Amino acid sequence: MKRITTALVFLLACLAATAQEVTLTVEAPESAVAGERFRIIYTINSTDGQFTPPKFDPSFSVQGPQQSTSRNVQWINGDMKAVSSTTLIYYVTVGAPGTYTIPAAQFEAKKVTVSSQERQIVISAGGSPQQAAGQQQGQGQVKAAGDAPASGSEVSMKILLGDREVYAGEPVTGMLKLYTRINLSGIQELKFPDFKGFLKEDIETPPLRSLETEVIDGIQYGTGVIQRFVLYPQVSGEIRIEPAEMTVLVQERTGARDPFFDDPFFDSFFSSVSTVPRKITTQPLTVRVKSLPEPRPADFHGAVGSFTMESSISGTDAKLNDAVTMTVTLKGSGNLNLSGEPVISFPQGIEKYDPKVTVKSSGTSSGTKVFEYLLIPRNTGTFEIPPISYSVFDPKEEKYVTLRAGGFTVNVTGTPGQEESAAPVYIPGEDVKYLGQDIRFIRNGKTKLAAISSPLVSTLYYWLWFALALFVAVLVLVVRKQQIRRNADTAGVRNRRAAKNARKRLARATALLKSGKKEEVNAEVARALWGYLGDKLRIAQSDITRDKCYIALRDRKADEEMITELDRILTATEYSQYAPVSEGESPAALCERAATLIGKLDDVLD
Amino acid sequence: MRRILLIQIIFMAGILSLEAQSPEERYSQAGGLYGSGDYSGAAAIYRKLWEEGFRSEDLLYNAGNAFFKSGDNASAILFYERAKLLAPADEDIDYNLQIARSRITDRFESVPQLFFVRWFDFLALLTSTNTWAVSALVMFLVALVLALLFLTRARARGRLLSFWLAITALLLSFLIISLALRNNNLVNHNSKAVITCSIVTGRSAPGETGNELFVLHSGTTVTVEQELGAFLEVRLPDGNKGWIRSDCMEKI
Repeated sequence: MKRITTALVFLLACLAATAQEVTLTVEAPESAVAGERFRIIYTINSTDGQFTPPKFDPSFSVQGPQQSTSRNVQWINGDMKAVSSTTLIYYVTVGAPGTYTIPAAQFEAKKVTVSSQERQIVISAGGSPQQAAGQQQGQGQVKAAGDAPASGSEVSMKILLGDREVYAGEPVTGMLKLYTRINLSGIQELKFPDFKGFLKEDIETPPLRSLETEVIDGIQYGTGVIQRFVLYPQVSGEIRIEPAEMTVLVQERTGARDPFFDDPFFDSFFSSVSTVPRKITTQPLTVRVKSLPEPRPADFHGAVGSFTMESSISGTDAKLNDAVTMTVTLKGSGNLNLSGEPVISFPQGIEKYDPKVTVKSSGTSSGTKVFEYLLIPRNTGTFEIPPISYSVFDPKEEKYVTLRAGGFTVNVTGTPGQEESAAPVYIPGEDVKYLGQDIRFIRNGKTKLAAISSPLVSTLYYWLWFALALFVAVLVLVVRKQQIRRNADTAGVRNRRAAKNARKRLARATALLKSGKKEEVNAEVARALWGYLGDKLRIAQSDITRDKCYIALRDRKADEEMITELDRILTATEYSQYAPVSEGESPAALCERAATLIGKLDDVLD
Repeated sequence: MRRILLIQIIFMAGILSLEAQSPEERYSQAGGLYGSGDYSGAAAIYRKLWEEGFRSEDLLYNAGNAFFKSGDNASAILFYERAKLLAPADEDIDYNLQIARSRITDRFESVPQLFFVRWFDFLALLTSTNTWAVSALVMFLVALVLALLFLTRARARGRLLSFWLAITALLLSFLIISLALRNNNLVNHNSKAVITCSIVTGRSAPGETGNELFVLHSGTTVTVEQELGAFLEVRLPDGNKGWIRSDCMEKI
């Protein structure tokens, strides 16, 4: 019964095998070192058929093939699946470097013949004679040499940086890479240095599962990236990166080596292997960080890299008290995380909240940073959001680049305070908002720059002027007073004696009258009058005239009557001088009248 | 030989004067610097002009502004106070001085001056000392002439008028002289000073040994009462007195 079941299973497996397509795959490294042995593996998913090996290049020394077959029967969800495969391994050594082609191999199944792909292999010149070092599994790639590990060591580790001379803030990509020529079974205790002066950001790195083959300076290494990261230098100067430390587990063979089967695959079977921890460190590095050039623009907020900026707004027509979102997007590569927000001077009347900042980083240091400003218009009207300018430092061009994004004009409509329509309308007044206090501006007009002058009041000669003026005034006063006094003396005497003299003359006239000299009487009366007038009115006898006398008398408020009387007497005296005495008035009467007039005038003129 | 030397000296002086900018040019240059934001540069030019003896209320006002903008509040107050002596009625100076004063550390409840002292000082500062002095002299001469008229005119008419005019002119001339002296005192023999050190201790005696009485900060205006060596006795706006190192203040 059991046998029947087995036979049935086998039959079914055969059926399944025939049902599936036959494939022939080849697995060969893309590169190898001359003189070192590598493997070419052919896998056929069938056991039934004839394998024709390829025609290897004559310079290939080929060992093998080592053939193994396997059959697997699987039940998956009730379905049975049988898989059988044949593996043929050739061990090849190539002596001379160059590029070789591995021709196609063929497999003849019952019905079909399949052939494998042709493969190219690059054989490079061997570097060191230690070619017996273990080969690495997996497909390798030839990489440009230049990041050579520390020579001579079997296992080493290196920090590789994208640039060793950067500006502060400029992102530097870096990785920690492992180089090995021996078998490792694992990694323990990775210790990064603290990267003083940098801000380090790890990039997600897949865990190291398999190593890649790299030929560096003719030596084949298995390499793998342990961790990728980005560094943002924070300070300027020569910054040293301390060594990183790691413990790797090295597989060491303890048993005797088989001289014929020098192969790790067989080694692991035929000799005992122990795992030994080994500490490896990187070399310390220095990075020259240049500080950003001065002067920095006012709108520079720490962004270093190459960016573009865009702005957008949710709507330019807004309702009162309804939120509007303005978005500023910074896009590009650089220190996005450290780039500050742009300063936008929003107009008064729009309430602004702190922006919501989102950073979307794709891969390393490039990505977008989005600043979302929530704006709530609190007044109606047209508001102008000015264009945004944002300076970034472009380390490639080594200069500041000012990015500009457009501003917006927002129209805010709506009626304030609609919700309280039932209540009596109360319009709250708003005080004028003073935004700041500053001194007033300078005066730019022309000014009279007067040279400093010594004050007059502290000089002696200024005060001497006063003294001089006073002295001159006193002098003038004294002289004038003397003059006045002198005048007053003569005139006063004459004034006081005027009436007396006049009376004397009149008395003499009366005497003349008695002695019979009538002709002289009138002349004497005239002389008495003229003398009196001259003395009293202070008019010199030489230029006395009737008119001058009358004017002077009128000035002294003499009666018109007196002046008429005076005029008549004077006319009478003059007339009698040239006419016979008998005619006209009698000299006695004239004397009498003159005496009376002088008496009256004396009353007025004194 | 001497003549050649003399010609050379005159020639060189001519070149120098051609090269040197006129004070007005420097003044407007400083204005340009201020406009472009180089406040300390502008302040240096204004201060140099002041030190060279040029006076103008605009110059001092601008100097105050430049010092204020460059952060030197003490010098700003100093120059505003100086400007105020040249233009006591200028509202801008008062405003800026008030702002500069609001930025200094020390606060005082200052004792206000009697109103007539304030008025008299205001009147005295309306024009310069020398203008007052010259007008006082002119007024004195007018008074003398009127007095002479009064004393020499014999006639009664007009005598009385000239008498009263002469008395008025004489009183006016005395008033103007006192204004001139007050102006001179305020402007040229000002006893006020502004503290320039950021912090200074007032002591009860000149020297470093006296008891510490108070601490003043830069920008405070004090009145100097007397001097003894390198120390000055100052009166604070609230009336207290103390001795302060003279290199810590600058006279207005």
